[in-house]
Amino acid sequence: MTNKKEVWLQKAHKTIDELHKLQPKLNAVVSFVDVEKQVDEALDKMGPLAGMPVILKDNVLYKGIRATASSYMLDNYVATYDATVVSKFKEAGAIIVAKSSLDELGMGGSNITSFTGPVHNPYDLSRIAGGSSGGSAALVASGAVDLAIGTDTGDSIRKPAAFCGIVGFKPTYGRISRYGVIPYASSLDHVGYFTREVKLAAEALMLLSGRDDKDMTSISTPLENVVEALDESLANKRIGIFKNVLDAIDDEDTRTLFFDLMDKAKEQGATLVDISMNTNLIKTVLPTYYIIANCEATANHSNLDGVRFGTHEDGESLEEIMTNTRTKGFGPLIRKRFVIGSYGLMDENQELLLKKAQRVRRKLVEATEKMFESVDVIVAPASSHVAPKLNDPSIDQLSDKYLVAENYMVLGNFTGYPSITIPMGMKNHLPLGINLLSKGYDEKTLLQIAYQLEKLTGLKGLKAKVEL
Amino acid sequence: MERISVKKVHQLARQLMFSLSEQEAKDIVSEFDTLLSQLDLLDRIDTSDCEELVYPFETPTTFFREDVVDHVMDVKDVFLNAPKAENQYFVIPKVVKDNDE
Repeated sequence: MTNKKEVWLQKAHKTIDELHKLQPKLNAVVSFVDVEKQVDEALDKMGPLAGMPVILKDNVLYKGIRATASSYMLDNYVATYDATVVSKFKEAGAIIVAKSSLDELGMGGSNITSFTGPVHNPYDLSRIAGGSSGGSAALVASGAVDLAIGTDTGDSIRKPAAFCGIVGFKPTYGRISRYGVIPYASSLDHVGYFTREVKLAAEALMLLSGRDDKDMTSISTPLENVVEALDESLANKRIGIFKNVLDAIDDEDTRTLFFDLMDKAKEQGATLVDISMNTNLIKTVLPTYYIIANCEATANHSNLDGVRFGTHEDGESLEEIMTNTRTKGFGPLIRKRFVIGSYGLMDENQELLLKKAQRVRRKLVEATEKMFESVDVIVAPASSHVAPKLNDPSIDQLSDKYLVAENYMVLGNFTGYPSITIPMGMKNHLPLGINLLSKGYDEKTLLQIAYQLEKLTGLKGLKAKVEL
Repeated sequence: MERISVKKVHQLARQLMFSLSEQEAKDIVSEFDTLLSQLDLLDRIDTSDCEELVYPFETPTTFFREDVVDHVMDVKDVFLNAPKAENQYFVIPKVVKDNDE
């Protein structure tokens, strides 16, 4: 036992040392966590993740540890209870070594809005890691840990996974409890994680999923054994190629890598089927998301007021305290999003904006369900391009490339269907990813096909070498 | 949808209990133009035949349970993060002022 304790402690400390070395380059850690007590507890459990160092996105509560959600508003907030996912990690014997950076309150896709500064891509420090779960993604990609928790409201696990060349997975909505996770938009928020191989993603799902009465959206639908099923071949699998997305991608390298992989899948017995959605409908994904997410976020974060918890600014009255605290506490992007959310929630706009968006959401979900009538999974490149530079000007926000190719993965949040990104190849030494979406509750098929595609890419375990 | 004004942006910010600089308010107004163009895309979709979808699944996930106490938080933990607390109360400036104040 003592020897095992020493081995696990050494492993945890080695990981923390590595994280400290990476920090000046990646800026991906918000807080480091003491491991001594955790190791003692893990030795008592001897669970399936015994002694494995893991990382939490900093919007996940771990009792006694700071949880900032990368917002100055929560700079001094210490969690007073464990998120369910933390309890499950503890049961499994994992050792939580750090908490990682995110876009402020999870609202963003670049991880440049954290109050602790931008997270850098481990393949090229002048580029973004993607967001909002960019800290977790960068640290798994660098090889510091094998498993890190993220959350995904739009594509906040699956897009950074593509930019960092790793596996990013979100299961069915409600499959992993959201209890103890600082929310962004409750009807879209998923808990998921990053790994460097699909098999570990499947194993982790078996440990982290399950009905939780403390999360009112947690599902009871049993999970099949997704690990045992991985070896099933691609024969008779029907892979739907999402034509709207491919048509919106003008990068020939991305298209070539994608179609080369699809050709290999066909050689393994998969049937490729072109599928598409009404062109006008798919272009509504982003504005629909923007309205729903910002309206929900505005309501969710009204409790950040400087009175009961979080940072505090003095004032002569309660109103002044709240106004001073919220003015200083939120970054400009968050304030902008709250204004938009508040605009959508105004009585006179609810019908035209929020309710309209919720009805379009139903149309998008129905159209996605229809695409699944003929296929097992829907696939497309997770992004049209490699990770952008930190100071890259944004692309035309009304172009098909932006509205469709860069934002279609939100369909996974509207539908709640499970979705995974895996690396599909490299362009100029930078990774590109492929995304898969399966029907709701069918993680088994999703992970099976992802596992088989991973074999074809030869990129299992891909790791970035960060120049220290 | 109509364009939003700088005045309206400030008004919304006040309701949200924060202030915006003039530049921030102007930036929001200009970004609203892009948003409004994107929102026009929603109007092209006929939704007259459908209800709003709020959550991904419409299968019930909440159930009646026995009326027993569980998941209790210690009072000490409740006030752990309070900027100002006293005798199990959050302390704020006096709301009802004395006559001579």
